[in-house]
Formats: sequence, C-alpha cells, structure tokens
Amino acid sequence: MSGTLIVNCLAGLLIITSLLVIGAKKPTSSALQYSLQSFVLVLIFVALAEIKHAHELNMWAITAFITKVVLVPFLMYRALGSLKDPAAETAVISTAATVLIAALIVILSYVVVGHVQLPAVANLKPALGVSLGHFFLGLLCIVTHRNILKQIFGYCLMENGSHLTLALLASNAPEIVEIGIATDAIFAVVIMIVIARQIHRTMQTLDAKQLTALKG
Amino acid sequence: MTPTQLLLALLLIPLGASLIAFALRWAGSATRALVTLVHLASITLVLVFSVLVINDVLAAGAMTALGHWFHLDSLGAIFLALVGGVGFLTGLYSIGYMNHEIRNGEIDIKALCNYYGFFSLFMSTMVLAVIANNVILMWVAVEATTIGSTFLVGLYGQRTSLEAAWKYIIICSVGVAFGLYGTVLIFSNASSIIADPEHATSWMVLVQNAQLLDPTLTTIAFVFILIGFGTKAGLFPMHTWLPDSYAEAPSPVSALLSAALSNCAFLIIIRYYIIVSKTLGPALPQAMLFAFGMMSIACAALFIIVQRDIKRLLAYSSVENIGIVALAFGIGGPLGILAGLLHAFNNSIAKALAFCASGNIMLKYGTRDMGAVKGVMNVMPATAVFFGAGVLALGGLPPFNVFVSEFLVVSAGIKAGNGWLTVISVLLLATVFAGIVRMVTSTLLGKAPENVQKGELSIVKLVPMAIFIVIMLWMGIRPPQPVIELLGNATKIVLNKGDAPLGISIQTPWQMINDSRQTVAPTISTTPAANSAAGH
Repeated sequence: MSGTLIVNCLAGLLIITSLLVIGAKKPTSSALQYSLQSFVLVLIFVALAEIKHAHELNMWAITAFITKVVLVPFLMYRALGSLKDPAAETAVISTAATVLIAALIVILSYVVVGHVQLPAVANLKPALGVSLGHFFLGLLCIVTHRNILKQIFGYCLMENGSHLTLALLASNAPEIVEIGIATDAIFAVVIMIVIARQIHRTMQTLDAKQLTALKG
Repeated sequence: MTPTQLLLALLLIPLGASLIAFALRWAGSATRALVTLVHLASITLVLVFSVLVINDVLAAGAMTALGHWFHLDSLGAIFLALVGGVGFLTGLYSIGYMNHEIRNGEIDIKALCNYYGFFSLFMSTMVLAVIANNVILMWVAVEATTIGSTFLVGLYGQRTSLEAAWKYIIICSVGVAFGLYGTVLIFSNASSIIADPEHATSWMVLVQNAQLLDPTLTTIAFVFILIGFGTKAGLFPMHTWLPDSYAEAPSPVSALLSAALSNCAFLIIIRYYIIVSKTLGPALPQAMLFAFGMMSIACAALFIIVQRDIKRLLAYSSVENIGIVALAFGIGGPLGILAGLLHAFNNSIAKALAFCASGNIMLKYGTRDMGAVKGVMNVMPATAVFFGAGVLALGGLPPFNVFVSEFLVVSAGIKAGNGWLTVISVLLLATVFAGIVRMVTSTLLGKAPENVQKGELSIVKLVPMAIFIVIMLWMGIRPPQPVIELLGNATKIVLNKGDAPLGISIQTPWQMINDSRQTVAPTISTTPAANSAAGH
C-alpha cells in the first residue's frame, strides 16, 4: 500500500468519524468521537511526514495529539457532561439526510479541488477534497443542530478541516504557524464552553431556538 | 526607541494591564481605585505610543520590526490611530459609565475587573491585527479579538446579553474560520513558489510576488477571505450578530466594536485586496466589494427606517457605513480608495460619539426604546447636543466629517461611470437619513417621562464626547495635514503606485469653492474632486 493511498484512506476515515461526532446524542460521546477523529488526523500528519519528508509535520502531529486528542476533548467531556436539555437533542434534519448531504458536500469538494494545479497535492486530491468537505461538514453540523453544544463541535470540525488543508498544501510551514492556530482554536472553544455553561445556568436551556429574544 | 521597542510596547502595555486588572480582584477594598488607575494608564500609554509610532511613520516611512513579524505602513497607521484614539476616548468614557453601573449595583467589583481586563486585552489584540505582517498572525489576531471581546458583550450576564454573546462568538468564529481557510490557501500557494516558507507568510513578500500566485486558488481564497473577515467587519449578509452584540454590550464597548474592530477586520480585507488586485487585476475584487457594499447599504437602510431601538439603529448604521467603505473600494481608482479610507476614519469618530451619547441616554432613561425615550433636550441638554450631532453626522449632515467622505464616495462613483448605481446608493443614503431624523426628533424633542430626573450625568461622561465633536468638525471643515498625508500615502499603498503622485487630494467642499475661484492654480486644476465640484 503506497503512502498516498494510506493518506487518502485515512482522509475517508476522517469523514466517517466526523459523521459520528455529528450524529452522537450526548455531548460526552461527541467529545469522545471528536478525540477519535483528531487521532485519525494525527495519523494523517504522521503519514504525510513520511511521504513528503517533512519533519515539521511530526511536530504538528505531537501538538495536535496534545491539544486535539487529549486537551480539548477532556475539557469538553468534563465541562459539558453535566449540561442536559432533552428538548434540544433533536436535529433539524434526520441522520439519513445528514449522511446524504455530507456525501454531496464531499463529492462537490472533490470536483472543486480537481482544478487545483499544485505539485504538492498531485496524488493527494481525494485527501484535499476531504479536507475542504470536512470544513463544510462542520458548517453543516452548526446549521442543522438546535443544541448549542453541537455548534461548538461543528466549529471544531471546521477547524480540523482547515488544519488538514494546511498540512496537505503547506507541510513546510513553520511550526509557529500551527501553534498560533491551535492556541487560538483552544481559546475559542474554552470561551464557547464558558458561555454555553452560563446560558444553561441562566436560562436552563441549550436550545438555539430558545435564543431568539433579540431580533429586528 | 527603535521600531521593535515601540511596537512591542504598544502590544505588551495593554496585555500587561489586562493581566494586572484580572489579578486586582483580590486587592480587597482598594480594587476599584487600583483597577481604574491601571485601565487609565493602559489607554493613555497606548494613545501616547500610537502617536509616537504614527509620527515615525509620517517622518521616515513604513517600519518593520522583529524580523518579518510586524510591519506598520501609512495604511496601518490610519487604523492604529483609530484603535489608539477611539480606544482612549471610549476607555475614558468607560470610567464614568462603569462607576455608574457599580453604584447602581448593575455589576459587581469582580465584573469591573473583568471589564477592564478584557478591555485592555481587546485593545492589545486589535493593535496586533493592525501591525501584523505575518498573514497567519493577522488571522490569529482577528480571532483573538473575538475571544477578547465576547465577555465584554456578555458582561451583564442577563438572558439577552448571553444570547448576544453566544451569537457573537459562534458567528464570528465560524466566519473567521473561512478567513483561516482563505489565508491557508494563499499561504500554501505562495510557499510552493517562494523558496523559504518562512517568507511565504510575510504580507510584504506576498505583495511582491503576487503575480506568481495561481489565479484559481487566489480567486477562491479571496472569496473565503471576504466572507471570513467581512463577517467581522459587519458586511451583509454576515452581519446578523452585529445588531444584537452592539445593542447588548455596554455602550463604550459598542463604540469600540463599531469604531475600531470592524475597521481592523476591513484592514485585513484591504491587505488581501492589494495582493489579489496584483494577481488577478482589480476588476474581480472590486466587483465583489461593490456588490457586498451595495447589499449592505440596502439592507441597513431598510432596517434603519423601521427601527425602534436606539442602539440597534446605530448598529445598522455601522452595517451601512462599512458598506459605503466597501462600495468605495469597489469603485476603486485613486479617488474611490481615498474616499473609502477617509470614510472608514470619519464614520468611526461619529459612531463612537453616537454610541457614547446613547450610553448616557440609557443610563438616564433605563431603556433604548424610542417610544419611551422622549425629551432628552430638556433632561440632558449637553448629551442631547452630542447625540444629535453624532447621529446626524452619521446620516451625512454637513458640516460634519461624514458628509465630506460620503460626498467623495459619490463623486468617485459618478466619475468612474457608475452613474445609475450611484444614484441608487444616494437614494438609499437618503432613506437612512430619514430614519435618523425620525430618531432624533422622536427622542430629543417631546415631553420627558415624569420619573426621569433632569440633570446631566458626570463630567467624565461628557468630556470624551466633546473631544469627538471637535475632531468631527475639524475633519469636516479642514482636515489636518498629517491625516491628509497618511491617507494619500495609504492610497498609494493600496494602488501599489510606489512614490508616483496620486493627482488628487482631500478637500472639503467649502475648501473646493475657495480654490475653484483661483482657477489659475495648476495644482488645483489637476484635482478630479475639485474639478467635479467646479463643474457642478
């Protein structure tokens, strides 16, 4: 099995794990699935480091492991586990429809990246398509869920998508670039968690449809 | 001081002040005085260092510091002036505003420390966004501004403020994630062309090598960047967080969000506009900005005319004005760009004044509803004058500064041959003006409710507004030479013209009338703005 094939297969696995994050009922299971997905992302970084002989990517893999496989899922597991709102658990569309739209997004993304003429991704177009698709899957998660905690996971998926694009297209990027992006993303997630907890404490709801006092 | 020391001081002073403010919650009974003092020192030093840095840029041209990490040219200097200046005045206003909130039990001492802490942190992140040369750092800074300001929006911890804070962080983070994707695309593209990947992150290097970028990737990247940073700037249709956040945040924060933050985000769009114009030619980025600008003005006009909430109206006015700036960049050419930059500056001053004045009204009446706020002229005459001046200036009333820049944008549109579209935008601006006059007459005149006591609020809440009015009139009647010079240099940077003369200069209509009498002056006759005025 060639290196590029491994990366493309792992990228496919990334889509499956993100569907698991989107589909999970409880926030704690979403946190675990997100950790699993980030682990797949770390594996992709390691595989890419071998193929491209880019040792920076091994460093990325280590930072991503610490932040995305351990730290962020742990924070979410601890902070969101106690928050419950059964009324908000239903998605706007069914799981089957989500899977169908996800498939469409991935196919469309694959078609779009087909036009990209960069030598760095000559054999990695499927993975590049997945990375773009993954970004929009995150957006899909945000717009199709009433539970505000799911919106946090949606943001994390979008961020993983851009992270993979960066690794595929610019594996020689300085490590500081990746650290900057990762740090910002962690802070954003932490603040979302704090505000979500405040909302749950003040209004006893996690339902985005209840957050409609402001309009016009 | 060296450029590195100056720029680091600008960044680290508010950052340090922020950490001290957070820590002061444990200072016992001295907390309130100490945290206010730290805040005052922070905003004053940021203002002083901003002036020093801008002076250096005026005297010696752009400065680069810390290798390729920081870069401040005339374009950045205009926006730094806004962050430093509006930050200082709204910070000063904050002291009076927050003292009032503490006295009335709206917030406690812990929330006060958080407020001043996040205020300084927010200032520091905006400074970073303005001086960053590294494109990834630009993104990091803009994302960090969201992180710094979310708690400011949700400060009161009530249902509506938490809802606003949630929408703010989700919509802006998601929006800015688009910005990250666009940044990654440009950077990846550049790193395959430029030998050293460290240099591919440098905005200056990207501008130099812009012709080599792949046109397809650059087009996709610009779409992502416009959506991403346009969300933060408040362009339609990504503006939905803005009325909620501006209305729910404490008024000085609304002023800072509107006057400084949205401009910082637009500065990043301008930075990419420069790169993309060089790669693809200016037609495509201009068409996109023109479309977003027109849609923003139209959407805002429709909401302004029916709005009943004072601060929401001002928020939609921000959407309208950032739309005018986008429209000016969409028109392009020296006059369009110059008018756009001037309008970004002018709107910020008037908007900050209007938000601060609306803060005084809210503190007095306890509501933002135009149906309940009546007779401000009788209750608080000074505030009423400040509010009326700020809001009417936003509508484009002469002799205030916003009139001058709107006039230049319209002139640029007509000169560029967009006659019909310019007429439509003027009609939309007239609609906005009607909505604004309705608010002014409805709130300032009429009989005040009986439970509202007559009398101005403290002097600390009035002085910053008086300074805003002086700046507005100054910019409206005879803009100071350093500002004109900065704007001219910034326009050259956007147009990538090097040191070649622009052939235009900023003149207020009243200056043009005097000048057009002296028709023999050759420098005037080459001025398109002056020519158009002379032709009318």
